[in-house]
Amino acid sequence: MKIGDKLINKVKEKITIHEIYRQPEDQITITVDRNDLPETVRILYYDLGGWLSSMIPNDERQINGNFALYYVLSMEGGKMTPEDELPQDEKCWITVKTFIPANDPTFPSVTLKVPAAVWYEREAYDMFGLTAIGLPDPRRLVVSDDWPEGLFPLRKDAMDYRHRPDPVDHKDEPEAKFLKPEGAGVLDVPLGPLHITSDEPGHFRLYCDGDTIIDADYRLFYQHRGMEKLAENRMNYDQMGYLAERVCGICGYAHAIGCIEAAEKAIGLEIPLRAQAMRVICLEIERLHSHLLNIGLACEVTGNVNAFMHIFRIREFSMELAQLVTGGRKTYGNVVMGGLRRDMTGTEIKKSLELLETIEEQTKEVWEAVMDDKNQVDRWKGVGLLDKQVARDFSPVGPNIRGCGFKRDSRYDHPYDFLTQLDFEIPTENGCDVFARETVRYRELLESVSIIRQCFEMMPGGLTVIKPQTMIKPGAYAIGNDEAPRGENIHWIMHGNAQKVYRWRCRAATYNNWTSLRYQFRGNTIADAALIVCSLDPCYSCTERVTVVDINSKKTKILTYQDLKRYSQSSKNHPLKNM
Amino acid sequence: MKLLDMTKKYGKATYKYPLEPYEVSEGFRGKPSYTYDNCIGCTACGVACPSNAINVKLNEDKTKLVWEFDAARCIFCGRCDEVCPTGAIVLSQEFELAVKFDKNNLKERGELDVEYCEVCNKPFTTKRLISYILHRLEKVGWDKETLGEKVKYAKTCPTCKREEKVEVITKYLKRGTK
Repeated sequence: MKIGDKLINKVKEKITIHEIYRQPEDQITITVDRNDLPETVRILYYDLGGWLSSMIPNDERQINGNFALYYVLSMEGGKMTPEDELPQDEKCWITVKTFIPANDPTFPSVTLKVPAAVWYEREAYDMFGLTAIGLPDPRRLVVSDDWPEGLFPLRKDAMDYRHRPDPVDHKDEPEAKFLKPEGAGVLDVPLGPLHITSDEPGHFRLYCDGDTIIDADYRLFYQHRGMEKLAENRMNYDQMGYLAERVCGICGYAHAIGCIEAAEKAIGLEIPLRAQAMRVICLEIERLHSHLLNIGLACEVTGNVNAFMHIFRIREFSMELAQLVTGGRKTYGNVVMGGLRRDMTGTEIKKSLELLETIEEQTKEVWEAVMDDKNQVDRWKGVGLLDKQVARDFSPVGPNIRGCGFKRDSRYDHPYDFLTQLDFEIPTENGCDVFARETVRYRELLESVSIIRQCFEMMPGGLTVIKPQTMIKPGAYAIGNDEAPRGENIHWIMHGNAQKVYRWRCRAATYNNWTSLRYQFRGNTIADAALIVCSLDPCYSCTERVTVVDINSKKTKILTYQDLKRYSQSSKNHPLKNM
Repeated sequence: MKLLDMTKKYGKATYKYPLEPYEVSEGFRGKPSYTYDNCIGCTACGVACPSNAINVKLNEDKTKLVWEFDAARCIFCGRCDEVCPTGAIVLSQEFELAVKFDKNNLKERGELDVEYCEVCNKPFTTKRLISYILHRLEKVGWDKETLGEKVKYAKTCPTCKREEKVEVITKYLKRGTK
């Protein structure tokens, strides 16, 4: 009996499965009828303990005349209680695939049964024109509000990647619609177009009653760069890794690995042990500097600039470490198909071990000092609660969900290659609040240090790169997963002709975290809004101002970045006092 | 208070950059530095470059092979360094790449003399590449005499070589049928 067969037999009892296809052994694709789609995903998600990891719409009209949808579920158990988890050797990926005829591009919405699918289905319409019937929130997600109606960029016949539709005149620009709660006395606070901690674009609307947020909505994707379109049919795998690395400014390496690993898995290519170990090292270095950045910012946004500076001082050591291992502080440009470009010398390993020592020691010292500060801890505790059931419904990832007591980690659930030889723990906390998430991050820092140390000690010899001998198989596809600092990154690659990519779907960790953010805002004060967003460690490009709308008087006020930051740090002189 | 004590303990963490030089680690991948004298115009770097920062093309009147590097497009991956057979392009420690006003200052150029095909007289590669090949052959033990015979062959462009081969083979085959 192969891995995952048990689960599939359970699905078979209720649903007709047309085809079962295995990519690598633990990645199974089942094809079902379009109308069975929502029920299949629901059974897998709630009854059999799956989490929605990604959804890939694909234009396969050139191959078989249809569009196709792939719902990727990570089967690992519901994890609501410690017992509710699949045994380690039964964890796998199950992809539910369905065909959509080209002349009728609609499908029944899965969101009604599994809320986690909402963003994916909105995106499916934006990019491919596939309409989810019954989708409760059919607004645009990815393309801008003035994007021409009926132009679906990722359809193969829609447009060239260089095409830019004419911009709409500023006065004709359509207004983005926000979901508003009804009732008297609701204040509308826009937070954006740049976020306060991460200085990246995103527009938040906070609906407040007095100082309390009762609901929130947001408009993101101001920085959509069309990378998926750029890669399709054009880039070869030598270039793909470098492009994927530029998805994110912080966890670029995780994307490069996810992308290249997806391509490698699709053809069953195994890379040398030494390269595997070094890939793990680089991923953990990235976690070091990303978590230090986030803990630092969480201190800064609450006014603890002193701690922020100390944490950033330590972070500099992790950047030096990255430079030692890869030759670059941030963009490592290291991953190629078949392994890694750059090897390490013995001296470099020795120096790295010394740096690790410093990082570990000083991180502990600063964290102790921060925990000593009662004001700081009080600002974090009880803020931005993520309800356990909401978390289960929306499949968040990373420290966000581990702060709610779910032991969900890609390294633990779907380990591969060198990870299976390492000994590490997955820290979880039960607080569900900002404090819990930061504590998880701190404990992960120490775990990362230990993982890197183990890798250096066990460092296998040999080559770091092999020439991929296997030819790319057109139509083969696979999932590449890894645990980035913010959570699990999923890359899905379908090979095309002539060593090019047919479809690349990149799902960054934060994509899964955004949908549940709305529930995290509720019941908190405006002063904590920036902190809550910060605790997600969001990865988008953030907001200069916040609009506040008073539900009673219908008055609006725009708060600047400085206003909000000052209030968030000092909690004095309420910015809305004179409204 | 603990944090303030730590500040005292660790002292300054910053550098006086740009007043003092900032030292990067040994393996740092900075701006690719180009040594014109070593370049043979083999175009390996141009092919390897994933971001098209290096372009190697004939100029308009086909008298020179132009090697051009645009630092603004470079992603410092080091592929060019890996493939260069003569070490003409090596990643340096240099990271201060800002230019004032004119983006053309980010570009570097090298012009190499072109070798013309002895048969069709079209430009096909650089003089340096040919001499590099002959030099290498000499090093592996070819004597002057054999080399002298092969010079003409080396100076023929691939298209002409192919045509010549085809001609020879057809002649041979025709003779065979007779």
